[in-house]
Amino acid sequence: MNQNAPSSRHSISKLATSAPPLILLAILALIPLAEPGPNTIRLLFVSLVWVTASVAWNILGGFAGQVSFGFAVFFGLGAYTTAISLNAGLDRLSSLGLAAIVGAITSLLIGMPTFRLRGPYFAIATIGVSEAVRVVMTNLAVTGGASGYRITEKGAFNQHLHFYMALGLAAAAVAISMRIRYSKFGLALIAVREDEDAASDLGVNPFATKLLGHAVAAALTAAAGGVYAGYAAFVHPNGVFGFDISVAILLMPTIGGIGTIWGPVIGAVVYGLVQEELIASFPQFHLLLYGGLLILIILFEPGGVLGLLKKSFRLLRARTGIGVHT
Amino acid sequence: MASILKLDRLSKNFAGLAALKDVSFEVEEAGLFGLIGPNGAGKTTLLSIIAGSIQPTSGSIVFQGHEISGAKSYHAVRVGIARTHQIPKPFRGLSVLENVEVGLRFGHSKRSADKTKSGMEFLERVGLAPLSLMPASTLSVGDMKRLELARTLAARPSLLLCDEVCSGLTETEAASILELLCDIRRAGTSILYVEHNLRAIMSVCDRVIVMNSGQKLAEGPPEAVQNNPSVIEAYIGKRAGA
Repeated sequence: MNQNAPSSRHSISKLATSAPPLILLAILALIPLAEPGPNTIRLLFVSLVWVTASVAWNILGGFAGQVSFGFAVFFGLGAYTTAISLNAGLDRLSSLGLAAIVGAITSLLIGMPTFRLRGPYFAIATIGVSEAVRVVMTNLAVTGGASGYRITEKGAFNQHLHFYMALGLAAAAVAISMRIRYSKFGLALIAVREDEDAASDLGVNPFATKLLGHAVAAALTAAAGGVYAGYAAFVHPNGVFGFDISVAILLMPTIGGIGTIWGPVIGAVVYGLVQEELIASFPQFHLLLYGGLLILIILFEPGGVLGLLKKSFRLLRARTGIGVHT
Repeated sequence: MASILKLDRLSKNFAGLAALKDVSFEVEEAGLFGLIGPNGAGKTTLLSIIAGSIQPTSGSIVFQGHEISGAKSYHAVRVGIARTHQIPKPFRGLSVLENVEVGLRFGHSKRSADKTKSGMEFLERVGLAPLSLMPASTLSVGDMKRLELARTLAARPSLLLCDEVCSGLTETEAASILELLCDIRRAGTSILYVEHNLRAIMSVCDRVIVMNSGQKLAEGPPEAVQNNPSVIEAYIGKRAGA
């Protein structure tokens, strides 16, 4: 056996996995220069916000297998925190940082009692917490209650700035997700998902692992909510704390491929783009379509779009004989 | 010789059912200690309590001079107690090597000298190295048992708790696992070995404890225990007319 073969193959595969994301990032960064029009930029902006939330949810739901129906809490708190901080005169980056911190702290408060529950009980508890927060925010006078809260814009609206903030955050979320997946922490998350007791028997603290995974996911989701609020300049409880936001955040990774790095990204882009078109044409019909899609995915392709692509690719390779390992 | 583990009047009740009643014994440093008994004797319960998987109702567990009863299992692993499961619990979505990595990276915090060892070395010891990149879900039951042992060894325990590592294996496979246990013990690790199969345990252990109905029935060297009338009775029943 050639001793050098594995190491050179390793560096080639490393290049092969890191090059396409960087090229994709570069292309996305160059898009505004082509002046594609405000509607396209807005569509891309929304998709990128969804990418961040989807990738974030996947860290807890995909890697650690803890299915939460309550991520609207973090999205909403991030949006409100950013809106209030911007009005208080804080700069955009610090406002997002603050939103992330508020999200992470809230996740600990939610996680400490609920992670003592296992399986479906955790999922059910997150629905309760999420609805409770929405009701509180609807009745909280300081933030305008149900009528919402407005950001007073200082200076002219710069759509490109918002696009780049969303792109930067989405890229950071994917990078963090990749980093976690192949780290000691990522190994702990997956071990907890596969068998919590066996993980504990090998030295993994399941409770602490889930809490930390929840905190990272919540911080990123809150920052996504903050970027969204900065663009919309207006937030209201039924918009950012709505149950449909929670459902969307867990639907995207499921569509794309749960527990993978790129599945949640694909799912978010599919969701973001399709949703815009569908909402315009069929205001109620789009939820029905997602419901149907979810059933089909769970029944026939639990690996999501990414799983389907991988299968088709393998099939194609077997048919054509290209790159078949002997 | 000093004892690494000391159990004192350990009891466990499951909703009124006494699974363990006042069990006391000591495991010597670098000893290979066998724990036998018929089905339902409380062997696995005892192992789970020492490993921290379940908590005792009363009694004390002293490991290397420290009281550890009530500690969670991940804490027990970090101070040097690791267990295998009778029914293997592989992380099915991870590769065979990644399974071992979990034990390697989260195991015993003090035995750092061994940390330089790679996951592959532990797989080689149980003969799973050729399957390192396979998903754990694709392994046969016998291979899952070996993986269970490999990743527990990767956690570098000072006290290894083995729960029927040989059941479901062929004679040859069982013999190689027993040989491995003897090697591990020679390298300084103490072993508490729970086994249903008397022959396996009698051939390797230097001391044996027999349990029946949650209580200690007998304790001593294998030959002495084997000829103990109450042990024979528990396993086979009373001689007719006796």
